[in-house]
Amino acid sequence: MPDPIRVAAVGDVHLADDLRGRYAPLITNISEEADALLVAGDLTQHGTVEEAEVFADEFGAADVPVLAVLGNHDYHSGAERDIVRLLEDRGVAVLEGTSTTIDTDAGRLGVAGIKGFCLGFSGRCAADFGEPEMKAFTGHGIETAARLRQALDALEAEEPDVTVALSHFSPVDDTLVGEPKEIWPFLGNYRLGEAIDETGVDLAVHGHAHAGREKGLTPAGVPVRNVAQPVIQAAFRVYDVVPRRSA
Amino acid sequence: MNEQQTRDLERAIATDPRTHELGIRLQVRGDHLVVSGEVASEARRAMVLEVIRDHDPGLDIVDYIVLSAEPGPGEPQHEQIDPPRR
Repeated sequence: MPDPIRVAAVGDVHLADDLRGRYAPLITNISEEADALLVAGDLTQHGTVEEAEVFADEFGAADVPVLAVLGNHDYHSGAERDIVRLLEDRGVAVLEGTSTTIDTDAGRLGVAGIKGFCLGFSGRCAADFGEPEMKAFTGHGIETAARLRQALDALEAEEPDVTVALSHFSPVDDTLVGEPKEIWPFLGNYRLGEAIDETGVDLAVHGHAHAGREKGLTPAGVPVRNVAQPVIQAAFRVYDVVPRRSA
Repeated sequence: MNEQQTRDLERAIATDPRTHELGIRLQVRGDHLVVSGEVASEARRAMVLEVIRDHDPGLDIVDYIVLSAEPGPGEPQHEQIDPPRR
């Protein structure tokens, strides 16, 4: 069996000045544990550039590539473009309907990322029907899933040994168990799960559901992990993903 | 404080620029307003309570907010993910 590609992940760190110093000491030597660090959105609490600087200071300490998607909190102040620019300048790759690859000793890691959006799941799902506002809400959820699928399709040409889908909103409801069912449509989107199931993903990682649980599966059986920091209660988890060529 | 006012105050905690905490739940129990949920720091707990007091709920505030577990040093947890059989 080939060596696994080691994927560290955390989400929902909600950084601001009051949490400065919480992560940097714990990820300075993360290369001993992982080949890349994925961050599943809600990097900041209020979505300000100042908070993004705290994130860049903390996660810039990692000695492996850091890949992130934004979360809903990162959009709140309307500064998301400035946040992306700052993070990219500071060496954090921000994915939004895009993908990237990282060559590791164990093979090529491909990551496609998107924030995602609400929609819901079987029995608790918004419908593309009625008022323009409802159609816009639903349509945006569907559009984000389509963009994730495009990013995953594009990634295939890069022939990754391991493919990871990174999002803020959840692609499945398995990992929402523990959250009130009434809010599940605001926490995830089954269309993200469909995109994952149809594009050869090995692992899906998301955040957003602070009261959910870590582990779940898509309908086709792809492992999904909710790495929201209040769920994993650690600076990060590491998933040792065995490349597909060993199957 | 009636049910509607309680929900309005929950929304205020979610949207107030001092807090933006979306996971705080409020329940009225007799003369008490029970505040529960999880926040990342003591400063954020204090800010949630300040926003509640600013709305003057007229009830004794019971603080059941818990702090997120602060990540600390120690061996990171690894999980092996095997490839799908397809």
